[in-house]
This record gives sequence, C-alpha cells and structure tokens, in this order.
Amino acid sequence: MQHRDDLELLRSRVSIISYGMTIVLGVLVFGFWQLQMIQNSHYADLANKNRIKEIRLVAARGKIYDRYHRILADNRPSYNIVYIRENSPHKPEETVAALATGLGMSVEELTQKIDRKKKDPSYQPITLKEDAGTGDVAYVMAHAYELPEVSVEFQPRRLYREGQIAAHALGYISEVSEAQLRDSPDLKPRDLVGIAGLELVYDSVLRGVDGSRHVVVNNSGREIETLPDEVTPIPGHDIYTTIDLDLQKAAEELIGDQVGAAVVLDTRTGEVLAMVSKPSFDPNQFASGISSFDYKTLHDNPDHPFENRAIRSAQPPGSIFKIIEAAAGLESNDVTSLDRVYCSGSSAFYGRNFGCWVPKGHGNVDMYEAIVHSCDVYFYNLGNKLGIDKISQFASMTGLGRKTGVDLPGELGGLVPSQGWIQRVKRVKWSPIDTINVAIGQGMINVTPIQAAWAIGGLASGGRLKQPHLVDPGQLRSLGFEAPDVRSETYTIREETVETVAKAMWGVVNDGGTATIAHVDGFDVAGKTGTAQVVNKSAYKKGSDTEDHAWFVGFAPYRNPEIVVSVLIEHGGHGGVTAAPAAHAVLETYYKKKTGHFNEGTAQKVAGLMSQP
Amino acid sequence: MRLRDIWHDFDWTLFAAILLLSAISLIEIYSATKNSQFEQYAALKQLIWICIGIALLFAVAALDYHIISEQIPWLYMAGIGVLVYTLALGRTVAGSKSWIVIGPMRLQPSELVKVIVVVAVARYLSELRNVRYLNLEQMIKAGLICGIPVALVAMQPDLGTTITFLPILGIGLLVRGIKPLTSVIMLMCFVLALPVAWRFLGQHQKDRIINFVNPEQDLKGSGYQVNQSKIAIGSGGALGKGIFKGSQNQLEFLPTRHTDFILAVVGEEMGFLGVALTLGLLGFILFRAINTAQTARDELGLFIVMGVFGIYFFHTLENVGMVIGFMPMTGIPLPFMSYGGSSIIAVFMAMGLVIGVRRRRYVN
Repeated sequence: MQHRDDLELLRSRVSIISYGMTIVLGVLVFGFWQLQMIQNSHYADLANKNRIKEIRLVAARGKIYDRYHRILADNRPSYNIVYIRENSPHKPEETVAALATGLGMSVEELTQKIDRKKKDPSYQPITLKEDAGTGDVAYVMAHAYELPEVSVEFQPRRLYREGQIAAHALGYISEVSEAQLRDSPDLKPRDLVGIAGLELVYDSVLRGVDGSRHVVVNNSGREIETLPDEVTPIPGHDIYTTIDLDLQKAAEELIGDQVGAAVVLDTRTGEVLAMVSKPSFDPNQFASGISSFDYKTLHDNPDHPFENRAIRSAQPPGSIFKIIEAAAGLESNDVTSLDRVYCSGSSAFYGRNFGCWVPKGHGNVDMYEAIVHSCDVYFYNLGNKLGIDKISQFASMTGLGRKTGVDLPGELGGLVPSQGWIQRVKRVKWSPIDTINVAIGQGMINVTPIQAAWAIGGLASGGRLKQPHLVDPGQLRSLGFEAPDVRSETYTIREETVETVAKAMWGVVNDGGTATIAHVDGFDVAGKTGTAQVVNKSAYKKGSDTEDHAWFVGFAPYRNPEIVVSVLIEHGGHGGVTAAPAAHAVLETYYKKKTGHFNEGTAQKVAGLMSQP
Repeated sequence: MRLRDIWHDFDWTLFAAILLLSAISLIEIYSATKNSQFEQYAALKQLIWICIGIALLFAVAALDYHIISEQIPWLYMAGIGVLVYTLALGRTVAGSKSWIVIGPMRLQPSELVKVIVVVAVARYLSELRNVRYLNLEQMIKAGLICGIPVALVAMQPDLGTTITFLPILGIGLLVRGIKPLTSVIMLMCFVLALPVAWRFLGQHQKDRIINFVNPEQDLKGSGYQVNQSKIAIGSGGALGKGIFKGSQNQLEFLPTRHTDFILAVVGEEMGFLGVALTLGLLGFILFRAINTAQTARDELGLFIVMGVFGIYFFHTLENVGMVIGFMPMTGIPLPFMSYGGSSIIAVFMAMGLVIGVRRRRYVN
C-alpha cells in the first residue's frame, strides 16, 4: 500500500495549501470591506469630485463713476486659459509641451506659472493665460479631448476707460495674495481684489458674491449634464465718486510729463474733485495680468509711477507756508498787516546771513506786498518774532503736519516741527536758526499736496476743515455699509485775518505777483507760489534732480471760496512758472462749467445729470 | 467511452458556479463598454467565447486525463512551436509580441500553453513515486519543463503572463515536497536575485512597483489607475450604485474597465454584496479544485488539478489584490470575469480538466 501512502502525503500537503488560500481570500475580502463599508463616504466624496465639476460664476465687480456718472472703471468680458491638475491624464511637463506652441507661450513661462501654484490643492485651477485671444480660446476648445485638464474660463475683467487718468485715485485690482487670503475669511483663491486706491478701500463694496454651477463631466472633461443647484452671482455695488473728469483731465494734461501731483478740493464739502499723480501707470495692465517684465519696468522706474504723490509726497512747502505764518502772526497779535519791514536783499540772524530770493531786495514792505512778492526777509523777521512753537501750533491747527483722513490708503502726515518734537525724536534742543528756515517753508517741514490744498482752503474758508473724500458716506450707508460721517473741524480765526491773507493771495495772481499766470477772467482767483529747496544753494543746478520743487496753491473765489487747487512739480524750479499753469487750467475749466461756457455737449449733459433727483 | 458517459457524475455544482460568474461578467462587461466607441460589442464577443469555452470544457472533461497525459510530449512540443511562431510572426499589442491572428480571432497562445504546461508538470511530478522530498536534479527537471515556455513568454516580453506560469511549478514543488532547508535556500536565492532582476525590468514595470510601495507619490501617472479603481470600489458601498449607474465606470474614470479592472466595476455598481458574491463564487471554484485534488484517484489527477488551482489562485490573488491596491499592477485578468477570448478559453479548458479528474475519482 505504498501507493496509498504517497497519495495520503500529497493530500496532506494540499490541505495545508487550502488553509493558506483561505487566509489570502479572507485578507482580500477584508480589503473590500474596508473600502466599501468603512471608508465608503470618503471614496463617495472622491467619486463625486471626479464626476462633478464646479464652475465658478464670477460676480461682476461694481463700476466706478465720476460725479456726473461718467464711467471710470468698467467691466468687459474676457477669457482665461486655466489648467486643473486633478485627474489630469498627463504630467505637467506633457501638458506644458502640448500647450506651448498652441498658446504662443514659452515652456519656461508656462512651467513657472504652474510651479508658482504648486502647493495649491490640485483641484484649484491654475491660470495659464489671462485675457486670452480668440485664437487661444479656439485652440483649447479644439483640443478638449486630448487635453481635458485645460479649459477656458469666462471672467469679467476691469476696463479703466480713461487709461492712466486718475489711476492713483482709482487704484487697480489683482489676484488675491496668500497674505490677504489668510487675513480675510470671505476671500477665495483666485479672487480679484483691490490692491490700491479706491479699488482697495471700497473692495468690499465693489466686490460681489460669486455664484456657482455644478456640471457632471466624464474623464475627458466633457460636460454630460448640468445639475439644478445653480447659484446666481450677486454683482458688486457701483460707486459714484466726487471726481470731476473734466477737472481731472485739465490737471493731468497741464502736468504732462513732469513729475508731480495736483489735488482739487471743494472747500465747502471736502469733496476731492481731482487728484493727479505723475508719472502714472495704466491700471488696465493689471486687469489683464501684468507681465513680470512690465511690472518690473514700472516698479524700477526711478520716478516711482505707483506712488500716489498727491497724498504721499511730503515736501517742504516753500513760500506757500508764508500764508500760514502771516495768519499766525495776525492771530497772535505779534504783527499787524500794516507793519513794515525793510528788505535789503538779505538779513542776519544769530550770526548767519539769510538772503532774500530777490538779491537786490524788496525795500520797505508791508504784509500785502511781502506776500504778493514773496519777500523772504519779511518772513524771516516775522518767524523770528513768533518763535517755532507759535508757528507750529497754528500750522497744525490749520491742518498741516497731520493726515487729512482722505479715503485712500497710505496717506502720509508730513511734518510740522516744534520744540517738543525735536527733543522727543531727534534728542537735541531746537535752534532758533532753524526757525528762520521754517519761516519760509524750508528745512524741517514737510507738506503733502492734499494737505496744502486742505489747509489753505480751510484757512480761506474761515477756519472750516472738511475731511477730503472721494466717496460720500451717505452713498455707502444707502447700500447698507457702515460709514462714519465726513469729519468737520473748525478753529477760530478772525474775519480780518482771513480777509488780509486772502486779499494778498488775490494780489499774487491779479496784482503783479508771482503767479499772474493763474489769473482767470471773471473769477477771483487767489493763490501763492512756493519754491522748496531740495539741496542748499551751493549744489544747485538748474534742470537736474537738485532743482527746487515748485508749488502753487490757489483757491477761488477769494471770498467764500468753492474750490482749492494745490500743485506740486518735483524739481520744477519756480512755482509761478511750472506749477501755476496746471492750477490755472483747473480753475478756468471749473469757472467755464459753472458759467455754462464749457464745451457745449458736455455742459448740457452735465446740466441734465445735475438736474436729476 | 460513449458520449453518454460525459453526464455521468459531472460536477454540475462547479459548472453552475462558473455560469453564474460568467453571467455577472457579461452584465458588467456590457455596462463598461455600452458607450464605448471601440468596444461596443465586447459583451457579445465575450458571450461567444464563453460558448466556445463551454464546448471545450465538456470536450476536455470527457477525455480521460490519462490519455491527455500520454499525448503530452507532442502537445508540449506543439505549444513550444506556437510560442516560437508567436515570437517570430506574432502581432505586437501594447509593447508585447504575444498575439497571433487566426481568421477572425486574435489569440494569446501563452494562455493556452499554460494548460499544456499544467499537464506536463503534473505528469513529471506524478511519475516520481514515493519521493518524500525532491532532490536537486528532479527540481531542475521540473523547472525546465516549466521554464522553457516561460522563457519564450518572457521574451515577448509579457511579464504578467510570465509570472502566472510560476505558480504551476511552485504549487507542484510544494505538494511534491521540498526540504525545509532547500526552501530556505531557494527563498534566499530569490531575494538575492531581485536586484539583478530589477535591472532587466522596463521603466513602466519599475514605475508600477515603485508606485505599489508608495501609492500617493504619483497619482497622475502609474498610480492613477489603481487610485481610480479604489475610488470606484469604495464609492460603491454596501449595495452599489446600481447596474449601469456607476459614475467611475460610465464616465470613464476607470481604466481598462472591461478587462483588468472588471472587479472594480462590480464593486462600484453592485457594491460589497456583488464583490462578496463574485469572490464567493471564485473561492468556491478554488475550494472545489482543492477538494477534487484531495479525492483524485491518483497522483496525476492530483497534480493536474493543483496546477490549475495554482494558476487561477494566483490570477485571483493578483487581480483582486491589484484593484484594491494590495498588489502591484500587472495585466493579469480575473478568471471568468475579465474580457478576453484566450483567457476565457484557457480557464474553461482548465475547468474541463478539473471536472474530468473529479469524474474519475472513484477507484473501480
């Protein structure tokens, strides 16, 4: 029975194998149990993510208008080429290689765009080309089958109708940064948000709420059906600014290629009628995804085109400060308008000689003549008599050396020095010699163009300061947003003081003074020029970076003013020559509009709009 | 032997299990391909192959396996010949020269040669009577019988099919007997050979193994298919999404749905219930083979059935393990379930062998 034994031996080994098989089958069944019974919801989610694609329905951003409902920031339709890594049948290199020629972009550029978003979740679309042309869109649509990971996305895009006009006030928008995402929970990746200007300040008003649509797609990205849970987007609110495009354009044109700024305020309300900063940039470049080259070119420009000089260029005010000082002297009774000072062309204080800008001197001048001809020696004496603390106290009261509170980001406060300030910050004692410099607006005193307009306008209005603003808080409240009232300040100043300095400023423009160029027929324009030294006289060279800054501040009418204009031309030389013409253009335009002589078509349109309830 | 004898003691239970599996397979192959541009007749073709397979099953079961064994020398030579012919004049599909075309049919000869190798190895091992443990010479001889066709398949190169030959030898040697020390030495040789073998693997095979070890690393490339398979199965849940309603299947996220990943389609549309039924039936068939081997009347019958068991147990282990990420990816079909004529014919013929052995289990 050896044969039987052999068979028995083999059978026993077969039994052992059957046990092994039982264990293996058990493990496999356990694997399915785990996937299907325990992790079912996890995998059901993943299957739905495969199947259901969310299409973002981008809400249109609110438009921005000027005060007469002329459009400044509009929206236009556009298309982006986007790439979704999740479920892509290709590796990024393969996708890039297939796309590069079709989109006319280099492999490096595409790879860079993908690498930059490498850490984003893979279902997040990566924008490969913003504002794509019809050729690109057609190419992607035609290759939808081979490249299901690449698709075309509709996006309303910002269109700044006036290009560079008022670019700094409007600001621009761009894709949300990682830091912004961390700070604001209501932002989503790839949102377009305001980065500067009004677009930034009123971002939450302008930005709408995106909607969504869900579609079922197959593996090649083809849409099979649309699910019925569409959420329609809620567009953002439109904003009507206080800007008057006509005044804005007049100022922009006259400043032209010079480096500088202009601010036009309505003295009665604080409304910003125009705000110019030059050189400027075209915010449309950001709207369609500024190329890194263009950005670098703008960013590295030594004249800093992104800087809003109207609120951020703090410069010594030069002779426009004499107005403040004259008023300070009259208010403190240290001087009367009739007191005379003899100007021989220079004067010595504390062992140092201080020259007047007219070397041969102005002779025996009173306050009116001293302002009209901008006599330095008169104001050296007045400053010396008042002392730094009286000057700085009054200057601060009028609005200099502190932020105006305009509704734009990044405003600088400028500087009005005092004994307390110099001890606190510089840890030295105030030297009376410095007072002599400050007396003509030089040295340790800095003023921004908006401050100059605000302070001089407030003084001319009898000590009434209205917070400058581009958007009326009432408008925001009617849209359901919280907005504090426009801040009003008043300080006491005698009527005769206002009359004296205003009359003298009228003389600057209309009585053979330093800014006759700002004269407007029929409109009582008052103003003051200023020339701020950049370096001391020995290093001075005309037409270079060391040339003086030119200022002009003017308002009209000189009694109960309505409008105030400040102009700063950096390295512009004499304020009366380079800064005053822009102010003249603004004031003339304003007066023509007021009297109905401005460009007929526009005037009628404006009149029509103004009569609307 | 009269034709009437076929029905005598025929294993109808095993046959019923096979038909039930085939039915599940046809439903899900249809579900996986009904919207496909290129494979829309796959279910119909599979039905034809199953019918041919059933006919061959009966034919093989009717023959006495001793007669088959007697014919094995020339059958074996014919098998080698076909493999050489395939290497020389075969058609290349997906990088492997593993197909021959006969009229309207495309066949993978390596699948059919497997059945011949089963009988050849069984015959050799069954003739070594009263050996408790194999000696080196015997192991080398058994290895050569299996190794020559394996080498020819490996040259195609079709790594997946090559591996499926090895269980024939492995199970045979285990059952015939290997000394514990010898098995340890063989295991060590195998481990030492791995780095050498690695150098001979193609890049996509290396990718598959790397990906098996670290599945999260590359969900785009070689990890994509297994990931989609797991999503399909996991999302199926207990009762499935319903036949023709699996999104992973119908929306084509699942790769090679009607062939290698057919079980993922079952898992998605029929849920754990469908998978349990499918695996239950496959398990039943394999247990039936074990039972048949243990009741076989002689060593030849036992080794034939265990060879068949070895092949299809390995197929099942590898394919089922692969769709849930327990095993690396290979193109090994799931017996009875995956679409494909050659594998269907081979498995039905192999089942014919098992049924044939069972019919003759009683010593007269």
